[in-house]
Amino acid sequence: MPVLEALIGFAGTHLGEGWADRLAYLTNGAHLAWYASVRFTVIAAVAGAAVAIACGLTGAAALRSSVAPLRWLGTGYTTLVRGVPDVLFFLFFPLAFEQAVEWVLAQRVCGAEALESATRWPPCAEAQWFIGTNGYLALASVSLGIVYGAFAANVISGAMGAVPRGQLEAASAYGFTARQVFWRFRVRQMWIYALPGLSNVWMLLLKATSLLSLLQINDMVQWANRLGAPNYLPSVGLVHGDWRWRYYLALFVLYILLTMLSEAFFASLRRRAGRGMAIG
Amino acid sequence: MIRTPLVAAVATAALALAGASHAQDTVRIGTEGAYAPWNYIDESGELAGFEIDLGNAMCEQAGITCEFVQNDWDSIIPNLQAGNYDVIMAGMSITEERMETISFTEDYYPPDPSRYIAAEGEELDMSDPSGLRIGAQGSTIQAAYAEENFAGDNTILTFETPDQSIADLMAGNLDVIIADGSYLQPIVDGSDGRIVFVGDEVTIGNGVGAGLRQDATELQATMDEALAALKADGTVDALIQEHFQAGPFYAD
Repeated sequence: MPVLEALIGFAGTHLGEGWADRLAYLTNGAHLAWYASVRFTVIAAVAGAAVAIACGLTGAAALRSSVAPLRWLGTGYTTLVRGVPDVLFFLFFPLAFEQAVEWVLAQRVCGAEALESATRWPPCAEAQWFIGTNGYLALASVSLGIVYGAFAANVISGAMGAVPRGQLEAASAYGFTARQVFWRFRVRQMWIYALPGLSNVWMLLLKATSLLSLLQINDMVQWANRLGAPNYLPSVGLVHGDWRWRYYLALFVLYILLTMLSEAFFASLRRRAGRGMAIG
Repeated sequence: MIRTPLVAAVATAALALAGASHAQDTVRIGTEGAYAPWNYIDESGELAGFEIDLGNAMCEQAGITCEFVQNDWDSIIPNLQAGNYDVIMAGMSITEERMETISFTEDYYPPDPSRYIAAEGEELDMSDPSGLRIGAQGSTIQAAYAEENFAGDNTILTFETPDQSIADLMAGNLDVIIADGSYLQPIVDGSDGRIVFVGDEVTIGNGVGAGLRQDATELQATMDEALAALKADGTVDALIQEHFQAGPFYAD
């Protein structure tokens, strides 16, 4: 890239060759790929958060439902999923989903004979579902969404309960239907109580994105591992010892930056949600 | 039965995707990308190394289109079986044990003795070691060898990638590493004397070959034919010289 070369040239003339070399090393293709891989983390976190909010609202509505079986479902979801370690669920869900899809595919395309005599998975090659990086990224986002949706459901359910009763009774007295009271008063007002808890859930979710490399996604943790590994072969690139701690340090800094950005974002959300509210 | 409309819709979409990916006749080759100079990620962030060059040469010879994909070592055989790629070229030794689950082409790197390395100044007796921390990459012939011969009196530690074991040796967490001689030679050469060979060479395995699914007999024949031609015209030896700066060669 000409811009990069110009930058390296500038460093060489004004700061000395050492800086030019360092800059050249930090902007080689492998490092650029590392910087670009941050997108996987951001996509997984944002998509995961969207799924988590959807799961959280549904879960909270189920938890507070007047229909007993729905309530049991909500309780079951929040209790079970919160209890499972996120690493475990992260590995379990994509694999289970893939095999479920392959099972359905196999029922349709393999034929009875192949299904009966199958010794391998999937029973026939046509039922093979190949998952690439994008597929795994989608599955990872859904896994994160389901796990952290269970936490969000608890937070949101609690926040719904914190909305002053008088507000809801007044709304009913003015002739709003139960549905209108729920959406326009309970849900509209609960955000101010839910946001502090939800920002915690978001932080946990953001940190959990460091698990992406478990699903063969070349995310920033994977690249940090790879770039920091010792290299003794000049033909491979710069010869250096075990530099992994330096790369992990860079990841620390990046995660802290992301945290600070999130804090600012949630502060502005809280101001917005608090408009016209007695508290906030 | 999980025949809800949603799952069926997803399954249909997946079928369309699967169909699309099968339509193009590209042979996918899986490699680890962490085993220089066999296969590694170069400074431009692309896969490179002896096996990348050789694989591309074989595909060109056979007139097929190939594409390399990266996969962690410990899941490299399961993901071949699952069809994520069609061939493994990852410095994998041909062994009886692996032949039970996958098949191999002829070897494209002659049988390579395994060797031991340690930090400089260590006096180790590898004919009858005891009380040592011995490192190897997991699921390798060396890990199996160490487990079989040394497990009683020593601690065997396995690593996901070989460079992690080197890092731990340098950090003093290991006493000795056993690995392919061809992998260790450039590391010892490039270490300024901080890493040295100890003990004798041991011969395990029958050379390195490309792994395939057992039902892929046609692809195996194609690859074998291309490999034989490249061995005969000296291309394989030239690539070994280029990447390892030393033999063993097929011409000898």
